[in-house]
Amino acid sequence: MSTPILLPGTPISASLLPRPNKSGTLTLGPGLRHTPPQTITTTTLGTLSTEPRKSALWLEDLAGRYAPSVNDLVIAQIHHSSTDSYSCTLTPHTPFALLGQLSFEGASKKTRPQLKSGDLVYARVCQAGKGEDVEIECLNSATGKGEGMGPLKGGTTFDVSPGFARRLMLGRKKGGVMLLEGVGEKVKFEVAIGRNGVIWVDSGSVRITVGIGRLVQDCDRGGWTLEEQEKAVKKAIKDMS
Amino acid sequence: MPHITTSALQRADGSATFTSNLYSILAGVNGPVEVQRRDELPEEAYIEVNIRPGSGVGTPRERYLESIVASVLRSVILVHLHPRMLIQVTLQVLQEPSEKLMKGKGEVAVLPSLLNAAFLALVDGGIPLETTMSAVLVAVDAAGGVVAEPSIKELLICQSVHALAYDLQGELVMDQSTGVFDMGIWEGVAEVASERCKAAVASTEDTDEMRDTDESGEPWLRTALEEKVRAANAWREQT
Repeated sequence: MSTPILLPGTPISASLLPRPNKSGTLTLGPGLRHTPPQTITTTTLGTLSTEPRKSALWLEDLAGRYAPSVNDLVIAQIHHSSTDSYSCTLTPHTPFALLGQLSFEGASKKTRPQLKSGDLVYARVCQAGKGEDVEIECLNSATGKGEGMGPLKGGTTFDVSPGFARRLMLGRKKGGVMLLEGVGEKVKFEVAIGRNGVIWVDSGSVRITVGIGRLVQDCDRGGWTLEEQEKAVKKAIKDMS
Repeated sequence: MPHITTSALQRADGSATFTSNLYSILAGVNGPVEVQRRDELPEEAYIEVNIRPGSGVGTPRERYLESIVASVLRSVILVHLHPRMLIQVTLQVLQEPSEKLMKGKGEVAVLPSLLNAAFLALVDGGIPLETTMSAVLVAVDAAGGVVAEPSIKELLICQSVHALAYDLQGELVMDQSTGVFDMGIWEGVAEVASERCKAAVASTEDTDEMRDTDESGEPWLRTALEEKVRAANAWREQT
């Protein structure tokens, strides 16, 4: 059964709602709005998804500007440094996200990384409430481990749509993008994907780095199917070697 | 039936082109972004509309159109969700009729295309919206006949032109008229326009028996939006 496509402002009929949980509440995700007492309307265009076990519902929405939410992995660029935090850009023309000077693995006052403006970090969003500053960190604050986050040295970034970045993070099976795995079988490179629509690629040579970045960007814009991707990967590998 | 493309611009958060039988408009939306201090509103998003004419630079005519479009969009966007932010809408006229319309008529005639393009770009940019709206242009000829989506010839000789917009619930969100008309004529115009706007978002599934005369037009807005979602979700089918 195909889920119905809902236009912005459509009230959701009671038959589509999942059963409320024991305390009688529903969890609303992105793209939905509750108007008391019990009207739920859509705010964007998309298809309705429900999770009956968590009694949650949300709208599978399309692209648009990246809105930070807690636990998202992002690639941020340092804008400037102040006494206790760095101000970083996640998306252009939005207020800065704050990254604590000591929010790195093993950082103390004496051994903290010295980042200049323009440097890149791979970080996790740890605070993104309404009306407060967005905060990011480069370590898991519960364990104190970096878990792959931290400053990104060398390489270069490429912009893609936030929706495509999410697909890349879902992986080959769930996201339906095999580009990185495909190229990775033949070519050596490092890659980091930010939920904010930034992809960082590093490899030994400029030709490979740019080749991979262009491949990913073209797939985002062209909306390639898996077969088209495989073809493009083959061609790209030939061009790179 | 208008021609629509979405995500036409690569660097804007949302964009769309809307081509009616008279005008072609390119719309770009950026937002929510940081707002200039002097425009900042403490409790809601500020909506900035820039209209660029087909040739030359903006004049008071464009400023006037911007003020109308901004006030309509303000009632469609959920502005209170983004306080102290800016939603920027840029509308570029790509094509307009070569015949010069009389002052007043020309402004009203372009409004529906501007609004439809702006709305499509807002949807493309994922801006939270209160409702779905569509706008329509209606002309009344000398004999009192009401023509929806008039051609340029009909516009040149008509008595009055009306630009009306309705939302999903059938509420009037914009009404701009010019020319000679009375209340009775306007009511007839409003009826035709609301039928058109209702038809634009009518369900595409059970229309076969409903849409036998095809007087009220096709569900162009719903078709365009549904196509967009299908294209964006095509990758899910493969996984």
